[in-house]
Amino acid sequence: MELSEHIKTANVEDVTLKRPFHPALRGTLCVTSHHLLFSDRKDEASWQLLILLRNIDAIEKSVENLFGYPRAVGSSGTITIKCKDLLVLQLEIPGMEECLNIASSIEALSSLESVTEMYPFFYRPSHLTLQGPWGLSSMEQYYKQTERLWDRWRVSTVNSDYSVCPSYPSAVIVPREVADDMLIRSARFRQGGRFPVLSYCHHRNGMVIMRSSQPLTGANKKRCKEDELLLQAVIDGSELGYVIDLRSAQQAQQARMTGGGFESKSCYSHWKRIHRHHERGKVVQESLIKLVEACSDPSHSVDRWLSKLENSKWLSHVHSALSTAGLVVECVERDGHSVLVHGSEGTDNTLLVSSLAQLILDPASRTVTGFLCLLEREWIQAGHPFQQRCAHSAYSHARLKQECPSFLLLLDCVWQVWRQFPLALEFSEALLLRLAQEAYASNYGTFLCNSEQERCAAGVKENTHCLLQSLLKPDIEEQYLNPLYEPTDLAIWPSVHPQSLQLWTGLFLRWTEYAQNMVEAREEVWSIVKEHRERAGPDQTNNTLSTHCETLTPFENLMDELTIL
Amino acid sequence: MSFVEVEEANPVMASAPIAPYNSSPLGNSSSPNASRESLKMEPLADFAMLPGEERVTDKEIIYICPFNAAVKGKVFITNYRLYFKNTDSETPVTLDVPLGVISRVEKMGGASSRGENSYGLEITCKDMRNLRFALKQEGHSRRDIFEILFKYAFPLSHGMQLFAFLSQEKYEENGWNVYEPMDEYRRQGLPNSEWRITFINKTYELCDTYPTVLAVPYKATEEDLKRVATFRSRCRIPVLSWFHKENHAVITRCSQPLVGMSGKRNKDDERYLDLIREANGTTKLTIYDARPNVNAVANKATGGGYEGDDAYQNAELVFLDIHNIHVMRESLKKLKDIVYPNVEESHWLSSLESTHWLEHIKLVLSGAIQVADKVSSGSSVVVHCSDGWDRTAQLTSLAMLMLDSYYRTLRGFQVLLEKEWIGFGHKFASRIGHGDKNHADQDRSPIFLQFIDCVWQMTKQFPTAFEFNERLLVVILDHLYSCRFGTFLYNCESVRDSNSVRGKTVSLWSFVNSDTSLYINPFYTPESSRVLYPVASMRHLELWVTYYIRWNPRIQHQQQSPVEQRYKELLALRDQYLKKLEELKLSDSAPSSTHLTNSSTPNAATPNQHITHLQTPF
Repeated sequence: MELSEHIKTANVEDVTLKRPFHPALRGTLCVTSHHLLFSDRKDEASWQLLILLRNIDAIEKSVENLFGYPRAVGSSGTITIKCKDLLVLQLEIPGMEECLNIASSIEALSSLESVTEMYPFFYRPSHLTLQGPWGLSSMEQYYKQTERLWDRWRVSTVNSDYSVCPSYPSAVIVPREVADDMLIRSARFRQGGRFPVLSYCHHRNGMVIMRSSQPLTGANKKRCKEDELLLQAVIDGSELGYVIDLRSAQQAQQARMTGGGFESKSCYSHWKRIHRHHERGKVVQESLIKLVEACSDPSHSVDRWLSKLENSKWLSHVHSALSTAGLVVECVERDGHSVLVHGSEGTDNTLLVSSLAQLILDPASRTVTGFLCLLEREWIQAGHPFQQRCAHSAYSHARLKQECPSFLLLLDCVWQVWRQFPLALEFSEALLLRLAQEAYASNYGTFLCNSEQERCAAGVKENTHCLLQSLLKPDIEEQYLNPLYEPTDLAIWPSVHPQSLQLWTGLFLRWTEYAQNMVEAREEVWSIVKEHRERAGPDQTNNTLSTHCETLTPFENLMDELTIL
Repeated sequence: MSFVEVEEANPVMASAPIAPYNSSPLGNSSSPNASRESLKMEPLADFAMLPGEERVTDKEIIYICPFNAAVKGKVFITNYRLYFKNTDSETPVTLDVPLGVISRVEKMGGASSRGENSYGLEITCKDMRNLRFALKQEGHSRRDIFEILFKYAFPLSHGMQLFAFLSQEKYEENGWNVYEPMDEYRRQGLPNSEWRITFINKTYELCDTYPTVLAVPYKATEEDLKRVATFRSRCRIPVLSWFHKENHAVITRCSQPLVGMSGKRNKDDERYLDLIREANGTTKLTIYDARPNVNAVANKATGGGYEGDDAYQNAELVFLDIHNIHVMRESLKKLKDIVYPNVEESHWLSSLESTHWLEHIKLVLSGAIQVADKVSSGSSVVVHCSDGWDRTAQLTSLAMLMLDSYYRTLRGFQVLLEKEWIGFGHKFASRIGHGDKNHADQDRSPIFLQFIDCVWQMTKQFPTAFEFNERLLVVILDHLYSCRFGTFLYNCESVRDSNSVRGKTVSLWSFVNSDTSLYINPFYTPESSRVLYPVASMRHLELWVTYYIRWNPRIQHQQQSPVEQRYKELLALRDQYLKKLEELKLSDSAPSSTHLTNSSTPNAATPNQHITHLQTPF
């Protein structure tokens, strides 16, 4: 079936568009294979709203005169469109039939299953070409650039055909002394084949963060010699490493009944296990739904707002993620020990904790490029199933399958870090908001599919553009930069006390008037910063000197003249 | 500013291989400003006394720090402050508490109490903290110190003077000149053909809690004013607070009408309100009664009430549902319970909700928004509550802050406080209880604190609209209690006059304006005509953590926004360049080459070094 066959009515005139905090507009509505286009009637300076159909999470229709004559004068319908980026729109469409047609087209086209039918495969802007490498970096490149890994670590291509671990990339970094056949055996002992691989090596002390999935010890306490040796090789003779298990001890025990398990003390004698309970999957998704529900409650007299916020438990997930990341950092940086992080599958909370720990530890991951590379390495290449997790957002009425806002939770945690350390990150809140939006609906192929293997099979790299590359090319947009960025080599430990964590209003209340205030304020801050930069220069090394020289030049000239005289 | 408590800068790892993750500020966090500043204080260095401050006594004592273990040290008491420094360890622990902050001093435990540190003193403070000291359980060791503290913390209850009258501080600026009523009225465009200035109250004969200079409708005669005064609680007649230059709408303020149970009317009062309405041709005057409807009705029983529909036909009455001083006092008490000494962590948000503090903030802010909105739409308003010195002051001053960008400058904000709060008789002495031992006085209430909180909420929502920063707000609140300056002393102008406050004490603004750089918001962008409407939805209000929980060492590192800190540095740098340029302009003989080599020294990335560099003079 061609996509266009879903479109029964492509054009409707005289549609009224209502958006929060904007006056209603009348214009023409078009449905295309991938977009909803509303354009204002006025010919000169026409205003357009283009919404990716993929961005539509839920659609509600109410039709008047449903049982009357189909073409009766004045029959009309209202469609409420709830987007994954949390925007809610209303369209009043004259003509009941048109309204129902539009609604059913949107319903069909916003939930396409086939990856290659999605918009990134059709998006061909003139300023981008499909030639050249896709993505920012590969595991091999990362290894080459990270000199501290060369001695004890190697790149293994044991997974080059994705047969060892279907959700891993083709290349992974493992201890130098561990041979590929051991990796294969260890993979068989880990859920989904996600054997322990290197996630980060600390620049101060060479300690590492490893990540994996749970070991398949099962009810009868199976062992795997190779897995034990692999972990032994990680700590390389030092006496201790920590396994941060993202489940409670009880949950880890229970996992054994279904074939999972944990690293027992007797088999992994040099590893100490610490359990930290993290909610996952459906529970987190439901938190998001509750939170968005509370945020979009239209009554301004929202009583019990704080209780609702608390009951959504969203901030407690933020709290868990940040405090466990803090624990990892404490092990690595303060205690000087290596860490293995895993929960069950190792594709959600594991990545959340390992990437947050890197943000806290590693100044290189706090630059724009460094942060995007971190996301590419730890989320996209590491096999976070974006397509499953981001299939729906907070409004959908569809039955939940594997949706879970793990990535949104990461961005929220990063925002909390930024709020507490406003100087330490090179990027701005706007970048986080952009990423939040792109993860759910995008022109780019970056967040398509669930793993490298799937992306390969679908030809994502050949047929779509990469978001991360386009963010950086040719120059990063100013709005994505933090005007106050001041690099620091130190670890930035966020406070995780409940009164230190705030609702990310920029995301969850982004369509309210207040957000507009803040956008204006940010612009003002930018202009002040720029003005000061011109006058004083914040980067003392270059700007200061040059501007300073410039201001002094006339006086030097004057003095030269005086000398001559 | 008055309290420097240095907790351990580097929490030592517990002996267990992994201590539970502790997110207290580490010495190596990237915002070490606060701790660095504190560390400057030598453990046993004496504190700098203010001119006029005298040492009264000192004593070996144990400070039972709620965030750490008990600390042995020495306490010094002067006629202005309580100062404690520890003697038992390398890590300095100090307390510097103005005695004015103390609300209550109690003896804790008895001579026969068992348990370590169970015998001593418990001090309740007005600024969201309590202090506990333990003494040796022998020979009535606490008797002297208790009596001295009791006497000097509550001088008015002991026939002594407040410290503000003993202080010999001198400042370049004279803060008493910040507010000249006539200048302020002129700035607003008064007098004019609609409003006149009257000196009828120059000896406080019309109303003893009003200032001497008042602005009233041009058509109202002095006799009218006197007759209206008979019908308004404590003679607080409706007078002008603010005049909208474009549409000539005004904010007027007053107390409740004396309607009483019998529903009395007063023709003069009715005509007077009509004069206010007529001044700019407002079709319907809006009267904002700050109280909840039921409270307004209940006030009839004590002779008060509200403007009835029949009597005031050209006016509409709106109740703003803001609760009274007692409700606010209880709310703050609940807030203190959940933040001091330990923050209620497990159900933080619902505990916070149960204090209702933010809800009250919301009601005050949304009331002020309604007032501001009405006025900017061209209609004049009257604002009152019962006496017109608590909720009324909150509403008029917040509305003025929204409407008039002048009040958002450092100077303008001082004028606003002097005018709407100090001038119009907010009963600071009764609400705060300066120097008074009666801690349970039902007149005490954190109305002014609540107002400052509302201002803070506005600065959060409009980060570039205010010339002043959070520090100014905290300093104002600290000196609201400290009794070091005369600004917030006494209930009204007339009492202030009879105690010669202006002549005998220093103004807080002398102190503030002598070093304004501390209080400037580097992101301030003046926008003269903009009306600020903050969002008063609960979703957009935050607890002012850096004020209410500032004594908690876990919060301390977040104090002093690093952003602001960074910008201060940049501003300082710019100023240095400009100054250097000036110097170069003046002295054409100075060789500039040395200067250039200096500034080209490469800079390291750490913030510490960065700051050092900035402070190095060229």
